[in-house]
Amino acid sequence: MQLLLLLAVFVIATCGLIYELVAGTLASYLLGDSVTQFSTIIGVYLFSMGVGSFLSRYFNRNLLRWFIQIELLVGLIGGFSAMLLFIVFPLSASFRIVLYVLVFLTGAGVGLEIPILMRILKDKVEFKELVSRVFTFDYIGALLASLLFPLLLVPYLGLMRTSLFFGMLNIAVGLFLAIKFSREIKRPGVLRAMAIFLILAELVAFVLSNRILSYSETLVYNDRVVFATSSPYQRIVLTRNKKETRLFLNGNLQFSSADEYRYHEALVHPGLQAVRSPKQVLVLGGGDGLAIREILKYSSVDSITLVDLDAAMTKLFTSNSMLVSLNQGSLLDSRVHVINGDAFSWLRDNRRQFDFVVVDFPDPSNFSIGKLYSNTFYKLLYQALKPEGIAVVQSTSPYVAPRSFWCIDETIRSVGFHTAPYHNLVPSFGEWGYILAMKDSVYHAPTVYVPGLRFINVATAQQMFVFPQDMRTTKPLAVNKLNNQALVDYFEEEWSTYLE
Amino acid sequence: MQRRNFIQQVAALTGTGFLLSQCQTTGQHKIPGRIVGASAKVGHLLRDKKIQGAPQSTTQAEVVIVGAGVSGLSAARHLYKQGVQDFLVLDLEAHAGGNAAAGENNVSRYPWGAHYVPIPNNDLKDYLSFLQECNVVTGYNSEGLPVYNEYHLCFDPEERLYINGSWQEGLVPRNGVPAEDLKQVQRFLDHMHQLRYAEGQDGKDAFAIPVNHSSADEQYTKLDGITMKEWLLQQGYTSEYLHWYCNYCCRDDFGTRYDETAAWAGIHYFAARKGKGANAEHQDVLTWPQGNGWLVEQLQKDYRDKIKLNSLVTSIRPTGGGVEVLYMNVATGQLQAVHAKQCVVAIPQFVAQRMLAPELNRQQLVQQFSYAPWMVANITVQELKERRGEALSWDNVLYNSESLGYVVATHQSIKQREPVKVLTYYLPLTQGDVVTARREAAAMQHEQWVDIILNDLRKVHENIAAAVTNIDVMVWGHGMIRPVKGFIHSDARRLLNKSINDTIFFAHTDLAGISIFEEGFYQGLQAAESVLKARMSG
Repeated sequence: MQLLLLLAVFVIATCGLIYELVAGTLASYLLGDSVTQFSTIIGVYLFSMGVGSFLSRYFNRNLLRWFIQIELLVGLIGGFSAMLLFIVFPLSASFRIVLYVLVFLTGAGVGLEIPILMRILKDKVEFKELVSRVFTFDYIGALLASLLFPLLLVPYLGLMRTSLFFGMLNIAVGLFLAIKFSREIKRPGVLRAMAIFLILAELVAFVLSNRILSYSETLVYNDRVVFATSSPYQRIVLTRNKKETRLFLNGNLQFSSADEYRYHEALVHPGLQAVRSPKQVLVLGGGDGLAIREILKYSSVDSITLVDLDAAMTKLFTSNSMLVSLNQGSLLDSRVHVINGDAFSWLRDNRRQFDFVVVDFPDPSNFSIGKLYSNTFYKLLYQALKPEGIAVVQSTSPYVAPRSFWCIDETIRSVGFHTAPYHNLVPSFGEWGYILAMKDSVYHAPTVYVPGLRFINVATAQQMFVFPQDMRTTKPLAVNKLNNQALVDYFEEEWSTYLE
Repeated sequence: MQRRNFIQQVAALTGTGFLLSQCQTTGQHKIPGRIVGASAKVGHLLRDKKIQGAPQSTTQAEVVIVGAGVSGLSAARHLYKQGVQDFLVLDLEAHAGGNAAAGENNVSRYPWGAHYVPIPNNDLKDYLSFLQECNVVTGYNSEGLPVYNEYHLCFDPEERLYINGSWQEGLVPRNGVPAEDLKQVQRFLDHMHQLRYAEGQDGKDAFAIPVNHSSADEQYTKLDGITMKEWLLQQGYTSEYLHWYCNYCCRDDFGTRYDETAAWAGIHYFAARKGKGANAEHQDVLTWPQGNGWLVEQLQKDYRDKIKLNSLVTSIRPTGGGVEVLYMNVATGQLQAVHAKQCVVAIPQFVAQRMLAPELNRQQLVQQFSYAPWMVANITVQELKERRGEALSWDNVLYNSESLGYVVATHQSIKQREPVKVLTYYLPLTQGDVVTARREAAAMQHEQWVDIILNDLRKVHENIAAAVTNIDVMVWGHGMIRPVKGFIHSDARRLLNKSINDTIFFAHTDLAGISIFEEGFYQGLQAAESVLKARMSG
């Protein structure tokens, strides 16, 4: 019995420290300032162990049973602590309260256990021996925990599964003791059933931890996550509420079904309608097929080439029924040819010329994407356009980021294009900007638009080309080149000030 | 904050930091890779005079060029362009390129040595026309400035320095540097700018490329008599940050510490670059995944069939009215002879002297030539964890590191995502004297180099050990000439550059005193010119 109980001390000590490390690490992850997080958590933990030790004097009967019950309780609280914290974090401002309550409860539980255990054993072992052994096992357990945690647990299991794993271990010890000493405790069956139930609960959570994480993602996204996947290029998340479906790439909103038509109509029609009898169309980016839905409204178009990096995107928008109904099955149309490849490389090898090109890349928020807005890229775009053709470039918000917007305009013009910049309001995004690029020097605004449009008509289109003063800049602008990436700097500066 | 940070902090807080660090250095998985290249073993056959016997066959050629580095290839290119077709280029290695050698794996091509060239000075017409020929210069604008191909101009972000806890843009220390030091740094840079456009009494540029075009004005040449460090202190530059930067630059360009490098050479690094393009300035550089290996390919593209690799030249002997060159096929060990009218010796002088008759008395002078040992590694990595600050750049340098940091071979890719990259890591072996450093380097095992590299890069990429999939290492025993105090303006350089009987000509960057692409290019060009002149008069 003695050895078994000492082994229990060992496991308890290991588990206790692991819960504390999980809490500290998680708090550092989520709140930053790891020195503060770790020192307050260690402080609270040790203090609550003291509280537990103090309270142990009020436990006078059925000590072994209490011991096992506390074991189960600690296993329950500690085991679910990481998951609870992950879920609570986006929900409330009281994350810290929950955090310290959890640390306090586990600490108090662990603090109760040692004195109770010593009292259980006090008649069986000489006091000198007892103290020596209990604390030896306690501290060895602590060392083991502190070694396992950084070397094995965090890298291989992650925080949520680590805490669940040790929760189960903790409870397993309780279960084992309940079985082993069933004759020395009252109603051992209840304890056993409780322990098995808790282990099963934690096991389920352990197996489903990824799904639970995505539930936590739901909370980050406000709405219900109806689809989420990670491609080699990005995290794709689709959310849904009563009114709308939203697509997020790496956490950035790509469109909302409520107003995406404003964006895609504005992107496509002012340019495409101005091309006489367009046949060959190229779409770079825009794997959602929504721009293509608009392009397919032109009966003269006989071929649309879509180059999108991410096969996961184009696949999603050809297979998910909700999305297929949104893009009206555009990607399944026989005129559409989908290429999953890098747009820059593809365009460099391309020898075809097109009547209309849609350039719909993510905003230039990093050096990688910045290359797709460089003069070198636009030179390739120039070669890919027929003499009478028009290209349109999505160009971020001229209201939030006027320097970025006009830098794109400057860069497009630097390679010999004539441009016609315009903008409209897309409520989900705000005021958004586009630039038409033409080899011809004049943009002939269409006098009629294809039927069935909800936003664009001759009058609204006309207004879009008017820029008020607050969407202009007087600061000097550099041409965005591969060897200066000026645009990325402008973009970062303007959007970070805006979002502050 | 990244995961490994916590692990370290957790480890520190729980007192296991020591054990953890032990695990990292000894417990990591074995990194695949090997020590490759620069056939020291074969070369040493020559040093140890182990090759004897008579040639099995003899062939004829108008000109023989010994060495397929940049000088040799440039000489061959010029001869070819001038209509000399009957020549032969011999090289010990399995690939041409010398210092500009390159390699390739399934991720990318990568350099084994020189990895970029700065924008050329605008007076280097031959060099510029070579660049135009290979479409690096795409034309000239209305002001007559060369327009550079933007796929070859180094993409932004170009350089970053890890200093005082984060990555800053550029290599001149600024982040966390005290105001007084910043002032000194600025004064130094202004000083260099002024020297860039300085002229001597003779009307020549104080610091020019090729080196031999520089002014002979004593106020500048006397800078060859003191070290870069001495000069800095003389000028009142005391900032440790500035000293680090100058030492870094000397080690980067010359493989030589700044307390050994002549001030003239140290300043030349900053002041000799004055190129201007329509779309580039003097500080801009041209680069390719395989570094200058790309230029090497361009240099040899017209006459590749005339290059004989795996051929160790053992003797170059003047004969009546010509020259006899003996060489050994490295694979078969067979000796062969080639008789030519002229020969261009485009290899370092310490090797050349072993091929030439001792009565030519070159040994004494060669003693003054000292070469820097280097280690270069190509590291294949998966996604790296980053520290705070600037994003991954082309050139990534760690303040106060023994290494020069690394260059990203895949940097010039236009693709959106390069999850696997090749990093080329440079370590000039500048601790202690070169002979010892060279000997120690030759004795090092692959695992030891791997340890050095990982321990260095772990400071900036916590997950480097886990992210690495392969490390190949090349040790250059004699990587490049060292422009130590007094060397560039010594007689040794001039004397060894003189031709022998108008039949044997010399071309190598060690004769320039500075190992840069342009010097190799012009060394070769001038040797080829001399050959052509000798043919005219002969």
